[in-house]
Amino acid sequence: MMELRRTLAGRIALTAVATVILLFLALPIVVILVTSFSDNAFAAFPPDSWTLGWYKALFADGSKWPAALSLSALVACLSTVFSLVIGVTAATALTRSELPLRSAVYALVLGPLLIPQIVTALGLFLLFEPASMLGSPLAIALGHTVLASPIAVLILVATLRGIDERLEDAAASMGAGRLTIARRITFPLAAPGMIAAAIFSFITSFDEFYISQFLSSVDTVTLPVQIYNSLTFDIDPSVTAISAILIAFAILALALVALVRWLGSGRQDSLLSVENTAGIAAPGGEAV
Amino acid sequence: MAATLTANAPARPRKLLASRRTRVGILYALPVVVYLLVLFVYPILSTLFLSLKSTDGSLTLHWYVEALTGINLSVLLTTVRISAETALFSLVFGFVLANAISRLKPLWAGVAMLIVVVPHFISALVRTYGWIILLGDKGLVNEAMAKLWVPGAPFQLLYNEIGVVIGTTSVMLPYTVLLLYGVMRGVDRRLLAAAASMGAGRVTIFRRVYLPLVAPGLASAGLLSFILSLGYYITPALMGGPDQTMIASLINQQVMKQNQWNGAAAEGVILLLLTFAGLLLVKLITSLGASRKKRSAS
Repeated sequence: MMELRRTLAGRIALTAVATVILLFLALPIVVILVTSFSDNAFAAFPPDSWTLGWYKALFADGSKWPAALSLSALVACLSTVFSLVIGVTAATALTRSELPLRSAVYALVLGPLLIPQIVTALGLFLLFEPASMLGSPLAIALGHTVLASPIAVLILVATLRGIDERLEDAAASMGAGRLTIARRITFPLAAPGMIAAAIFSFITSFDEFYISQFLSSVDTVTLPVQIYNSLTFDIDPSVTAISAILIAFAILALALVALVRWLGSGRQDSLLSVENTAGIAAPGGEAV
Repeated sequence: MAATLTANAPARPRKLLASRRTRVGILYALPVVVYLLVLFVYPILSTLFLSLKSTDGSLTLHWYVEALTGINLSVLLTTVRISAETALFSLVFGFVLANAISRLKPLWAGVAMLIVVVPHFISALVRTYGWIILLGDKGLVNEAMAKLWVPGAPFQLLYNEIGVVIGTTSVMLPYTVLLLYGVMRGVDRRLLAAAASMGAGRVTIFRRVYLPLVAPGLASAGLLSFILSLGYYITPALMGGPDQTMIASLINQQVMKQNQWNGAAAEGVILLLLTFAGLLLVKLITSLGASRKKRSAS
């Protein structure tokens, strides 16, 4: 790195600017967390007195939040199940078979990630409105799956590509059937990727706004739409509390993904090292 | 290339096996293909048809004429302007930050990447609300500027374009940082060392070697944040005024408030065409970049 040795002043300037940009990313989140405990949600920052009142208000009588929260949770669970079914089958087709038109299938999978979500939302509205399915949790979940399943497919394709196919071949050579191989070899190795795909599908659906807004009715409003409405129409300070809960939830989900990845990373290596020791042991076996 | 290899690889005796693998592939690909054809491709095609249909059912370009005139045209121009501003700021901030992170020691780079990635997974609504609290007349930003005796403080930072661009940039920034960080990690440092050994100064190395190597990545990161901003309206709707209405917000209003589905469909198709144009440019730039890399390597 000799060629890029910087002057001390230059390095300090770069670090300072980078820190300001990182603050730019982190500050809105920190402010929400602090304000959710502030006695007066609209007064100056930092607050002068603290309260848990906004959290209590979330679950007070007549509050809209519990219904929105449970609808979003239900929709996200449905969407996660749909995405996993689609993701596992599609990833198997894309990595473990000879698929005609493979690149066309890839393009189809990437489509929902590249096209503006508002256009997808409008299209789904045109599909579900004539069917009188607006406001149905199933319709919202089916819509969310359009966005969540491509993410699940991409994560699971990467997972299956990362699994050494020789392990599956080795099991087959020892007489294991396809089901046994899937159950005893592929599934345990793919489990961390499947959990990650499930978590990302859940987050995608839980946070989704455009499709929810188009497909919801007056009585069925998902959490993001309720947050949007309460920021636009009525001033409800408990929105800071629900926002803080969402932040905690997102951090928890990401930590879970990291934990699962970390726990899963050792697994294939240990299987492969068994294969290696078998390889080393073989010449000795011949000698006998 | 890998696809053509596997397609040619099986020798004749394995043909039976290959056809079984093909059948399995088609069977397993069915769920995703059918799902996306019914719930993604078909709805978008019906949007296209609706945008071309007049109220009596005949073909018409009326909705496009309407979408491209008067107040609707100004919404379209606002959308392009705000998206361009957002893309510019995301690109500049993203370049500086990704560059700084790529020079950090692994531990600090990890911490910095965490600060980039975690907000990305927190709802944009929540982050926008954070900005609304921060940028108010009595918010942290204005209070800090008042304490620092900045003349003119407090500033009007909400319900105008300044607020919108600040908020939207913070939503798009993680994308550009992640993309540019990947590009910068891919730069072969030996090329920079080679330039230095031939007597090039730091500025020359940056301008003649580093910048051309990362230029395709810069262009596609900028275009990506531009494309993503085009269809976005959460932050502009919450932090902007009437002058910051974006096309996605207009589509929403036309459907929900005016029952104007055909007009909304035409706006949607225009948004789609703008997106395709952007994606085509990205594809062009990356393939140009790839061919240039190949030439310099040979």
